[in-house]
Amino acid sequence: MKLKLAVYWTGSCGGCDVSFLELGPGLLDVLPQLEIVFWPALVDAKRGDLEKLPSRSIDVALVNGVIRTAENKEMVELLREKSKQLGAYGACAHLGGVPALANHAPGFTEVVFGPGFRPASPWPEAPEDAPPALLPEALPLDEVVPVDFVVPGCPPPAGLIARFFQAALSGEVQAGQVFAEDKALCEECPRTREERRLTRIVRPHEVVPDPKTCLLDQGMVCLGPVTRGGCQAACPQAGMPCTGCLGPTPKAGDPALAMLSALASLVRAGEEGEDAFPQENQILDSLVDPIGTLYKYAYAKYARPLQRLARRREEVRA
Amino acid sequence: MSGFEPRVVAFLCRWCAAAGADLAGTNRLQYPPHAIPIRVNCSGRVEPQWVVEALKAGADGVLIGGCHPGDCHYVVGNYKTRRRVYLLRKVLEEMGIEPERVRLEWVSATEGGRFAQVMAEFVAELKRLGPLHEPGGPG
Ligand code: FES
Repeated sequence: MKLKLAVYWTGSCGGCDVSFLELGPGLLDVLPQLEIVFWPALVDAKRGDLEKLPSRSIDVALVNGVIRTAENKEMVELLREKSKQLGAYGACAHLGGVPALANHAPGFTEVVFGPGFRPASPWPEAPEDAPPALLPEALPLDEVVPVDFVVPGCPPPAGLIARFFQAALSGEVQAGQVFAEDKALCEECPRTREERRLTRIVRPHEVVPDPKTCLLDQGMVCLGPVTRGGCQAACPQAGMPCTGCLGPTPKAGDPALAMLSALASLVRAGEEGEDAFPQENQILDSLVDPIGTLYKYAYAKYARPLQRLARRREEVRA
Repeated sequence: MSGFEPRVVAFLCRWCAAAGADLAGTNRLQYPPHAIPIRVNCSGRVEPQWVVEALKAGADGVLIGGCHPGDCHYVVGNYKTRRRVYLLRKVLEEMGIEPERVRLEWVSATEGGRFAQVMAEFVAELKRLGPLHEPGGPG
């Protein structure tokens, strides 16, 4: 019996849908075992077709993208109802991803989608083909519907996609399974770690990194220590610091705060002591855009409670 | 904000700040009773996640008390903490939360008076800032 598969995109860039091609020739083994019942990026199917399917008739549904609009929400609720298992595929569905950084700039969406943006009918009259209403916040999938498993990454790397299909095709996807390692990315990174101290913080475009040594040792903010392995440290191998797309290890908790803690511990301006404080501060100040760097994918998932408190404070002050 | 009594979580290192707090007590010094003290072995043990957890769970402010520079029982724990708090406050500020809600102070085991003064100052500051949470919020 073929595995009945649905793949759907919400607020996404499309990269997740393309990522399946990463399987290369391996795709030829997987495809014959699948019955694609719904996959708008690949085959023409409308919402009505999905509605007609009996409840729980899809074996596995994969959702990629952040939940950004009222329509996204309705669609994943519908998919949830029609599917036996539903997974978050990619960093946006898993953690909110890059598009959810918009949550950090409240009012941003009004600027972008407000008066004068759309060429349709003049504001405030809603154009007939108005896009679906935006939700007040961009949300990870599990804030909207129960999620059975996660295939993480931006986009998920080939090895993890293969692991997922292997499990799905043999009906062995466990509840709560995350198709990545529980251990940190550093464990699979071939770079050598020596210094264990940071005397500067640089951004990737500012240096040509040494090919062999740890990027963190070279002053790059590499999220490897707090991020799940599973990609064979693809970015560090290519000379780019890890930005955390596979999500935090179970031990790390909030990845931004865990990384902040690690970074601050490592910073040194000569001998530690009171005399070094101003220079240490200078090094710490050179971490540009801490929120965007440390919470690149995980903002929606981890920063929302604090953000709510901050919003409330703003209202009180206003 | 009248009638607002801030809730404070105070992480105090066992060798200095917590001993200083004890001394304030045995000396019968009067200071605001708003803090829930949590004794830790060293201020360097305090994770930024704990601080944020306290704020989320209902605290209006978090105090971290450690040994004076040069005095940390584990030599450099307080230096680590200083850098962490420095970064954490920056992140909180960018999030829109007043960084003053997280305060790091050096208090030695003999400075009972100083502990009382730090508490008084911090509570006054938090009263000025107002509550972080809605009335009836967590905690
Ligand atoms: S023991 Fe007091 S700060 Fe380390």
